[in-house]
Amino acid sequence: MFSLLFVSLFEVMHLQYLVPLAIGTWAGLIGGAIPGVTITMTIILVLPFTFGLDPLQGLATMTGVYVGGCAGGLVSASLLGIPGTPSAIATTFDGFPMTRKGQPGRALWLGTWASAIGGLLGAIFLIGGTIPLAKFALQFGPWEYFSLFVFALAMVAGLTEKSLLKGFLSGAIGLVVTVIGADPIMAVPRLSFGSEFLRSGFQFLPILIGVFAFAQIMTDLEKAGGEEARAAGPIPDLSVSHLGVIWEILRRPFLLLWSTVIGVWIGVLPAIGGSAANVMAYDQAKKFSKHPEKFGTGIPEGIIAAESSNNANVAGSLVTIMAFGIPGDAVTAVMLGAMIIHGIQPGPLFIAQEPRVAYGIFAAYLLAHPIMIVLQWLGARFYLRVVSVPKSILTPIVLVFCVVGAYALNNIIENVYVLLLFGVVGYLLVKFGFPLAPLILGVILGDQIEINLVRALMTDADPWLFLTRPISGAMLALSALSVVLALWQHRRQYGRAPGPETVEPDF
Amino acid sequence: MIGRDGVAGLLGLAGSLVLLAATRGLPQPALVPIGPAFYPRIILAFTALLSAALVASDVLRRERPKPAPARYRLVVLTFAIFTAYVFALPWLGYRLATFAFVAGLQATLEPPRGRRWWLVLAVAILTALATYYIFEVYLSVLLPRGRLTGF
Repeated sequence: MFSLLFVSLFEVMHLQYLVPLAIGTWAGLIGGAIPGVTITMTIILVLPFTFGLDPLQGLATMTGVYVGGCAGGLVSASLLGIPGTPSAIATTFDGFPMTRKGQPGRALWLGTWASAIGGLLGAIFLIGGTIPLAKFALQFGPWEYFSLFVFALAMVAGLTEKSLLKGFLSGAIGLVVTVIGADPIMAVPRLSFGSEFLRSGFQFLPILIGVFAFAQIMTDLEKAGGEEARAAGPIPDLSVSHLGVIWEILRRPFLLLWSTVIGVWIGVLPAIGGSAANVMAYDQAKKFSKHPEKFGTGIPEGIIAAESSNNANVAGSLVTIMAFGIPGDAVTAVMLGAMIIHGIQPGPLFIAQEPRVAYGIFAAYLLAHPIMIVLQWLGARFYLRVVSVPKSILTPIVLVFCVVGAYALNNIIENVYVLLLFGVVGYLLVKFGFPLAPLILGVILGDQIEINLVRALMTDADPWLFLTRPISGAMLALSALSVVLALWQHRRQYGRAPGPETVEPDF
Repeated sequence: MIGRDGVAGLLGLAGSLVLLAATRGLPQPALVPIGPAFYPRIILAFTALLSAALVASDVLRRERPKPAPARYRLVVLTFAIFTAYVFALPWLGYRLATFAFVAGLQATLEPPRGRRWWLVLAVAILTALATYYIFEVYLSVLLPRGRLTGF
């Protein structure tokens, strides 16, 4: 294992991989720093640029975006008090007060170094955990895969905050999208209504771009109602003693390790993303602290917990994608989509069949962290300038990238029409209060759910096998349990306060 | 009287029933027990059931959530301009359509005055040419050529 890892590290250090990795990390830092441009959207926007690259180059770029995006959110969170990404929400709680106390450099670099150290600690689990989990998953037959995908979908839909029913309906709509086109067993065209384009079904990338980009952009435009140019004030002095900052982090080993464990664990679980890891680690740090009353006033513990957990979360998410082939949330769903577009089918056979790419991803993940530190050092002031670019300039440019991304997939204009169609659908779903993550998960997992269901029933027509095979039965029991728990939580949460609420978009 | 959830549920119900009816025309293979209609029917029936439940829950609801205040003028305009851009692409070609789209949308989102027009035009030209150059030259993506313009 280690020899393969070292070989991959040396391979990714070659310029042909290092440059795309650095560009991806840089794009992630910028995208993460801009409020309203989430990591999901940054991955979607960068993906078309990797179509022409070989799979390892492309996936190194995407890994860089993912790692950089998690760290980028802290720039605007710490220095402007606006979380650049949802996974930097808790960073704002102590990062911004520290900046207001006149220590912007300390706030930024505590977050950056904590991200890097937390991310690298998470790498231990990524590298050590993926292979045993993938070996475990090798025991899976179509029954287990079907149940695993159902479990992932049930978790994501069940954890929808506002309405459980809408969460499930959103997932079901995603599954409906995948039944349009040729059936995966006999290639009979279904529900294509005579359209030559629909005979091959929808490609998921234009759907992802349309749904996420439009839901985000249009919701921002509603709130803005006009231009809300952020004042480009003077850039604060970000100089700091790096050794001092690193020492501040390392002399809190329990906080660092516990936050990392939380981040990794939440990453492994389907349905809970970086924002939950960030907030939960912050909350845990506060509970374990000897001085919880100081949280929120600009203390280093808050920043360290929040930032180490969200980068460790990336490692946990990658484990689930690489070992089982299931995405945990919207960001990882898009990452999984990126892998599929590069010809990789993540899952238990991935590491055995594509060791070069798998270990290349590990290596890219490890190298993305030092690269992120260097790029943060070189460009933090520049990212703050980018944040102040008016929406009137940013919006059309992002939409052009969306069009090019959808078109470049197969060089056909029909994919751009699909982008427009699902842009409207995504926006309407948000306006009707539907969460988008279950929809995306449904679109990405739909084919695999069908293939495994049909394979299982063709192998043995007895449907009870889904329940009586131990792993499959356990997964289905967990799915049912997650639904029951979600119902109970909803009743408890909303049963007490039945009054009118305000509908807010839920991505 | 139904609210937004009810409307969404009815749309979902209608859509899934139409698609469910469309699966009736799918062939049933003679040699294998499971045909191409098997899985779509399960999914569409499940979707119809959830949609009906959403309608029922909305009808039975005593108080409905108030929608967050929003201004839709820019949303509608942006969708309209984007739709025009998408359909203009095959006629005008990527460079011209992108230039017009970026300039038009910028001017709509923040109407320029005086020298800001130059900024609007500069951003539009740069976006059209830079993306064209990167994708065509470096990434070998053949961007749409215009039927009317020939470029």
